[in-house]
Amino acid sequence: MLDVHNTLSFPAILTRIRNKLPIQNPLHGFVHNNILMMFEDKEFHDALSVAGQLYRAKSYWDLEQYKIKFHENKISEKDITDGIDQYSLHYHDSACAQKLGLSLKDFYHRLMFSQLAFNDDDVQPEIKDGTLWAQCAEKMSGQALDLSLDKKKYRAKEYWEKYYNESLASTTHPYIINLISSFLDQGQSFWANPYLKSGFWTYFCEDLEIVRKFGSDWQKNLGKKLDFFKGYSTEQIIESELTRMNIPREAWEDFILDLLFDLKGWSGMVNKLEVEPWQATVKAPNIKLVDFIAALLLIESSLDEYHALNHSTDLAMIYGREEITTLRSFQLTLALYQITNDFKLPHSWMNKLESGEIVTIVKNIESAEREHVIRLWHEAFENHFYREALSAIVSHDRGQLDVSNTVAQILFCIDDREESIRRHVEEINPALKTFGVVGFFGLDMKFSSIKHKRLIAQCPPVIEANRIVREVAKDSVNAQRFLKINSFIGGSDLSLYYMSRTLFRGFFSTIILGLLSIVPMFLQVFFPKQNKSFKLKVSQLISPVPATEMDIDQIQEGQGYTKLEMTKIVESILSMCGLKTEFSKLVLLMGHGSSSTNNPFKQAYGCGACGGNAGISNSRVFAKMANDPEVRVHLKDVGIFIPKETYFASGFHDTCTDEMHFFDLELMPSEYVEEFNRIKIDLNKACMLNAFERCQRFSSPEAKESPEKAIIHVRERAEDLAQPRPEYGHSNNALAVVGLRHMTKGLFLNRRSFLLTYDWKIDPEGEILKQVILGGIPVAVNINMDYYFSCVDNDHYGCGSKLPLNLTSLLGVMTGSSSDLRIGLARQMVEIHEPIRNMTIVEAPLERVKKIFDNHGRLKNILYNHWMRLCVFDPESNTWYLFKEHEFQKFEVEKLAIKYFKTSKERVIKSVTEDDFSEIG
Amino acid sequence: MEYLYLNLLVLPFVWMCFLGITFFFRIKLTENFLSESVKWISLIMSSLSLSLVITVIINRSQHIFFDYPAWITIGEYLFQSRFVVDILGSTYALLTSLLIGIIFRFSRNYLHKEEGYFRFIFLLSTLMFGLMIICFARTLDLIFVGWELVGTTSVLLIGYFYIQVQPVRHSLKAVVSYRLCDMGILAAGAWAHHYMHTTDFYELHELLSSPHLHDSGHGGTLALAFVGFFVIWGALAKSAQLPFSSWLPAAMEGPTPSSAIFYGALSIHLGPFLLLRFYDYFTHFPLLLWIIGIIGFTSAIYASAVGRTRSDTKTMLAYATISQVGIIWVEISLGFTQFALFHVLTHASLRTWQFLRSASIIQDFVENPVVQQHEIIHRNISFEKYFSEKIRKKIFIHALHGFHLDYLTQKTISFLTWPLRAYFIFEKRWLDLNNGLVKFLFKKR
Repeated sequence: MLDVHNTLSFPAILTRIRNKLPIQNPLHGFVHNNILMMFEDKEFHDALSVAGQLYRAKSYWDLEQYKIKFHENKISEKDITDGIDQYSLHYHDSACAQKLGLSLKDFYHRLMFSQLAFNDDDVQPEIKDGTLWAQCAEKMSGQALDLSLDKKKYRAKEYWEKYYNESLASTTHPYIINLISSFLDQGQSFWANPYLKSGFWTYFCEDLEIVRKFGSDWQKNLGKKLDFFKGYSTEQIIESELTRMNIPREAWEDFILDLLFDLKGWSGMVNKLEVEPWQATVKAPNIKLVDFIAALLLIESSLDEYHALNHSTDLAMIYGREEITTLRSFQLTLALYQITNDFKLPHSWMNKLESGEIVTIVKNIESAEREHVIRLWHEAFENHFYREALSAIVSHDRGQLDVSNTVAQILFCIDDREESIRRHVEEINPALKTFGVVGFFGLDMKFSSIKHKRLIAQCPPVIEANRIVREVAKDSVNAQRFLKINSFIGGSDLSLYYMSRTLFRGFFSTIILGLLSIVPMFLQVFFPKQNKSFKLKVSQLISPVPATEMDIDQIQEGQGYTKLEMTKIVESILSMCGLKTEFSKLVLLMGHGSSSTNNPFKQAYGCGACGGNAGISNSRVFAKMANDPEVRVHLKDVGIFIPKETYFASGFHDTCTDEMHFFDLELMPSEYVEEFNRIKIDLNKACMLNAFERCQRFSSPEAKESPEKAIIHVRERAEDLAQPRPEYGHSNNALAVVGLRHMTKGLFLNRRSFLLTYDWKIDPEGEILKQVILGGIPVAVNINMDYYFSCVDNDHYGCGSKLPLNLTSLLGVMTGSSSDLRIGLARQMVEIHEPIRNMTIVEAPLERVKKIFDNHGRLKNILYNHWMRLCVFDPESNTWYLFKEHEFQKFEVEKLAIKYFKTSKERVIKSVTEDDFSEIG
Repeated sequence: MEYLYLNLLVLPFVWMCFLGITFFFRIKLTENFLSESVKWISLIMSSLSLSLVITVIINRSQHIFFDYPAWITIGEYLFQSRFVVDILGSTYALLTSLLIGIIFRFSRNYLHKEEGYFRFIFLLSTLMFGLMIICFARTLDLIFVGWELVGTTSVLLIGYFYIQVQPVRHSLKAVVSYRLCDMGILAAGAWAHHYMHTTDFYELHELLSSPHLHDSGHGGTLALAFVGFFVIWGALAKSAQLPFSSWLPAAMEGPTPSSAIFYGALSIHLGPFLLLRFYDYFTHFPLLLWIIGIIGFTSAIYASAVGRTRSDTKTMLAYATISQVGIIWVEISLGFTQFALFHVLTHASLRTWQFLRSASIIQDFVENPVVQQHEIIHRNISFEKYFSEKIRKKIFIHALHGFHLDYLTQKTISFLTWPLRAYFIFEKRWLDLNNGLVKFLFKKR
């Protein structure tokens, strides 16, 4: 491995570095990603410890949190043994255990409950057993153990922090953040950076020309360095500077990564804007990662020189130092004593062994303790959930599929938040059948609404959006007026934004706006909901939104779809639902999104399958396609018979306010209206119950009283300026069920599961299954992992509390007045989440599932490296398989007694937090 | 009227003490109880101050004095409890109660489930009490009490997230600036006591206007002018005017509503408030008015130049605030006192609103139909266009680094404190010498 590094050219190193930087988009285009996507080729736990070092984050909950769960019986003894079983499949080095005379599993078990503290100098143990202590002391007399971290340390940063209390955060970071945030700015500042065209490096050099005269001494150093390097390319600068610092080539990658991860958010953003400039909010500036690295490197090295001079230290000593902690014989005695006690070993175990051997054992146990304990607890915790979930689903009574008497078929998104609303809809009116399909309805489109010309990709990031679909007005005269007024309002909004922050114009706008602002402030803070409806009314009065339709027909390459393409899209979605012939009169397509106010993370609440946007346009486009008579003719050729009287209506479910809207209703045949209105009443009831269920997680007492109050409450939440938790998003997602609805119908899944509809009977080739899984599971895993990481270490993988956030450069958020650009999700979004890896349960013949996972690069990676768990129910042989250590193994699930409730509402009222799963109906 | 304004003073005081006592005895108050109580308190306060303003306007009274027995008497020194109700104080009281009411309501959801909710409410209540004292105080001594309360709460709220390093460091920056300028107010008080035996604004004004000023042994005019000078000095840090500007942008570390109420609205306008209180006094010294005007003008220019290069919401608002407050200073120096008060009111409410909405900026831009992708947003640049490109770039960089204010301050401080540093070096050498001696002797034995 070292050799490979040694010969790597700088560009190759740069590519490797790029692949490890954070991948977050600018906030306006936030999509859920596995933050550690680039580490997916490693085993989950291994990847986490590598990434943990890079992100300086812990990768699991605190040990205490697991122990609390243990005391609450949320982790049972059985879960622990199961967890150990699972864990030891992969980590099966039993040398240490053998020496102690224990089996590996026993060793792990005892390790989990041991309380070892080897490095404690000060702590005198309460020695209960004098003879044992004497025995240990005798064994360990004169021994010593060096615990060294295997890597040499090349950065002086920690050294200055440790011995001189000088942190970068107070010296160089404010300077860099100031520079970079101004350069990357997309339009927030009034005075655009004048160096946007000439590039970051010129900007950096010219900036320093001035700053060196007024800056501290390290900046003067830096100025000299830049003089010296005049005329060099940034790549050359990096190479020669690293060589000068005597850093061996094989350590370059780590060194630079460590440097970049000091400001991981900004570095990631620089990389993102260079590699994918179209992701920029407005326009990506001319910046290269190399330039940024060069700047960081020079700043760091001149700071080092400055500190070295100040503290009269030799830099050569600091670069490449090794830090060793030595355990002396007293500490070793203590360690041995603790091991004997905590592992409940007979006192005689050490008699057979040499002192040297025992020292090795202590060393091994020390590293095992650091590495395994928390993982074992985590596995145990996950296993508890998996066991409950599987037993609930396996023992769930699958009623007969009744095809008769269907009033309407409703297609929801696979989203875990739609699990509850589907349940409520079915409970209220069993004649409504629900399905779960990907919320972008298979459309790979960029969409521009009538109001905003901006093209928005309405599909998951793995799919390339290469079609443009526009919303056009039916009546062009009205539309013209609408556009004019809108762009006038937009323009004046923008200039007021800038003006109120400048001097003279600021004076006038303060005088005028100041008086006006007190009214909306008052209304918005005290009466958020009324304010919203008032604003809507006013805007409807000033510029009524014209009636629109979707322009989907192909006009030219890259715009719209041909009829055949439409047929293909409709076919794939309908066959995912298993719909071939049995269509009801009405088919409702429910896209979803989430409304919230004053929320920089709005995108994170949207429809993950639509790239974080609302799914309105997708459902409208799809409905138009499916209603097209020509498409229906084509569909007959592929075996899908949509009766003439079937009408596809497009709708939208707001997961925050629990409102449902429907579009293009004027196209619906008039004889359906009555039927449709009846359905709408049912849906509204379902929405209320759904809101009621959601409100149990919020802590406002009045909302928990009744569904009527709950729905008022959630609508207020969406409009409340001060609300950091408009909804809890995907919190607690942990499952994905692929199969027909009867697998989970009537099962209370507590909004923890993605539900993907798939009918194995109509898909002998497995093609449809492939579409279902590829469309849904990566998204589910991404969401799951995003929540996982933001939850386990919110300060390093996530973006900390929402309260002091400060929007920067129209790209992201900082904490307070100047900090790194934060990545991940805010604390308020994940506070009730439980970090559990996704478990996917598929109802399909085993071979089909195997084929799909084995032939897809990423899916294979995440499955084989345990970033997700997979469970298959083979309906042909009626057996359950669990994917364990690279193969599917049959398994029998013990049937737990599951509580039974008459309705979801009753379940919600009676047991709020107890179990996740229960039977309904 | 007495009843009205006294209640405005007593209510927040009682509430603050209540919170302090419960905290002292570790009695946990629930979030719900706290938010319900502050709702009612701010409602009562708002209606009281509104009726106070109305009474003052209806009575057409310039000001009404209320004197109470002295609080503390030490020898000749009297800590007088003198209050005044006038349009300036009562309007500011109204603004305070309205905005704090809004902030209380806002924080109810914003700081929900937050560990420091109690602390936050306690600090805001203390702020309310401090501001009420300042609104109705008639002597500098009383103002100083309120001034300190406001300063302390402000610093503690910057350091709200005290677990992290940066908030604490920046709150320290604020403390130092505040302390430096509090010395100004203290000095003004001491000076006035020394020469005129009173710190009552109205008495000072009367003394200055009386023709027998020079006969009565009150010191020379220059000595009297120094009181005004110290008052200006004291007003600098609270309203972040030059050279004490750099703490304000760094102070945006606490929760958003606290930034809004302190640095968008109430604390930042205390500078102009103090100047308005002393305006009559200043009219006797045109030079002082000039100083006010020049400080305000340079601060306004400075802050607007720096602010327009800033790309993050909160520091941008901080600089915008400084520049508008600078303009208010200029207005005061020009004698537009009524207008300055009006400007304070409108400015405070606009900035509060902008701070509270600060998290919506990205949505606002992305949803704005005028903002297109791949096209840099067109901005109507103003005075920059009069410079050549090269100079414009230079100004930009200077402005980006805040015209090196921190560097200059640092240099000045190190210049001013060289005797101290020399003393420390001397002391260290001396101790080293002693240590050596002791060691030497010890070894010998």
